[in-house]
Amino acid sequence: MAGALSEYFRNVFDTAAAVLEGMAVTCSHFVRKPTTVQYPDRTDVRVQDTLPYRYRGILEVDLEICTGCLACERACPIDCIVIDAKKDKGTRKMMLNRFDIDIAKCMYCGLCSEPCPTGAIHHTPEFEGADYSLESMVRRFVNESVEAYKPKKVEDDPKISPILERGMRYLDEFAEPGDEAGADA
Amino acid sequence: MSIAGFEVEVERGTGLETEQMTLNMGPQHPSTHGVLRFVIKADGEVMRRAVPDVGYLHRSIEKISEKVGYHGFMPYTDRVDYVAAMFCNQGWGMVTEKLADIEVPKRGEYCRVIAAELNRIASHLLSVGTMILDIGAITPFFHSFREREKINDLLEELCGARLTYNYMRIGGVAWDLPPGYEEKVLGFLGQLEPMLDEFHDLVTENTLFRGRCSNVAAIPGEQAVAYNLVGPNLRASGVRYDVRRDEPYSVYPELEFDVPVGTGAAGSVGDSFDRYAVRIAEIKESMKILRQCFRQIPDGPVVAKVPRKLKPPEGDAQIRVESARGDMSWYAVSDGTEFPYRCKVRTGSFAAMSIIEDISPGLMLADLVTVIASLDIVAPEVDR
Repeated sequence: MAGALSEYFRNVFDTAAAVLEGMAVTCSHFVRKPTTVQYPDRTDVRVQDTLPYRYRGILEVDLEICTGCLACERACPIDCIVIDAKKDKGTRKMMLNRFDIDIAKCMYCGLCSEPCPTGAIHHTPEFEGADYSLESMVRRFVNESVEAYKPKKVEDDPKISPILERGMRYLDEFAEPGDEAGADA
Repeated sequence: MSIAGFEVEVERGTGLETEQMTLNMGPQHPSTHGVLRFVIKADGEVMRRAVPDVGYLHRSIEKISEKVGYHGFMPYTDRVDYVAAMFCNQGWGMVTEKLADIEVPKRGEYCRVIAAELNRIASHLLSVGTMILDIGAITPFFHSFREREKINDLLEELCGARLTYNYMRIGGVAWDLPPGYEEKVLGFLGQLEPMLDEFHDLVTENTLFRGRCSNVAAIPGEQAVAYNLVGPNLRASGVRYDVRRDEPYSVYPELEFDVPVGTGAAGSVGDSFDRYAVRIAEIKESMKILRQCFRQIPDGPVVAKVPRKLKPPEGDAQIRVESARGDMSWYAVSDGTEFPYRCKVRTGSFAAMSIIEDISPGLMLADLVTVIASLDIVAPEVDR
């Protein structure tokens, strides 16, 4: 009887001690800096600006440097990129008639921006894509057909060179494939 | 005898009749970590049987592999187990490399291990955090998720996504470590240690937590092996088996780490508390591995040259990865075309799910939640 009674009181004491110990940790948080941020109105800078460079947000295409090579369309595992690029019979130039990305389908895997030769298709830090209709989730980048970019040895057009520079910087982030022999080095 | 004024005849010696009740738990239940359902036969508060009903999260991921090709399947593997996607990435990468006989550069392997071990810490933090939440304490959950958030930030910097990483490629990884990554990770590990100590005071030593977990659903070693339990669940039952140590892959032979097992610190070996304790111990081992990786990582390329249209020769391959939920086996068959002929994943959660029916009789209804959480069942991994 006495054993059961003392066990009862020991349990009460243990439980109270455990609760107090937990409360001590909890109370210490009164004097710590909060780790939460109230999104979106209480942030000092836009969240998009704080994201790392590799962040994979909504896709964007710089048509000025798109070569129409269809590498991204082929790489996409869910076919959310639709490109219509044709060679004009008269002028013998590659023309882009359609470049649609369905961002409702897109799973932000980044496989499309990897094979792009100029970095035209790339992820932006933008992630707020909510909209009222499914139709507006299809981003159409071509309004009227434009001439595709033709890579040159040195880009001298002052309009295009900064865009190309940005694209190449984006591509530089991706790992360079080494030969299998490099495994031993 | 008379009950409420009525004369009732009760046969002597049999006691009062009890009636079994069939209860439904799920498919949408906060403690099931996804969509899964249990049909419970209960006698009052005591369960007679809990039958899991799986299949609510089946997404035909294995079938998708036959349609999208070897490179295109990589982002889908993120969805096999979205809590620990790096291991699925690594599994698919490794099985394809074995099929096509591709060698991964050394630095690529180290990048893989760094990403995977970070992911293991994140997954275990989520596991223990939600386990405590399911038991009824909410504060430790926030503590563990705060730390997990920091790992998410680190992985976001590494690969651009917080959950569906798609970091690994066939033949290596997609991105090299960003500049200053080592300091960031080591800084994080430095502050994770005091946090784990605080967590220890808050949870491990807590009488209420021990009361809810000790001796609940203890799984002896033989039963764990018979049911093919893997990973932390198996090790909690006292079986020292880890794919990283016993069938080493990647650069694990060059790394030193212990394989923690359940000791029965709060009761019997293999109970819910041991499963919790093994996960905490594994977080510490992962931290050890990460520190070694940064010391040993060589320079060089991180990805091998792999053709865009990969056509492995005919044949099949099978590999195993120690995921956060245990031995994850990947099997792929190639018929020489650019699409896999068949792909099969065997995951740890499926085995953990199957043992619940056997250990449930006699448990309290409220303990089922503890069991699901302590076995760390992630519903999408069960069905794929």
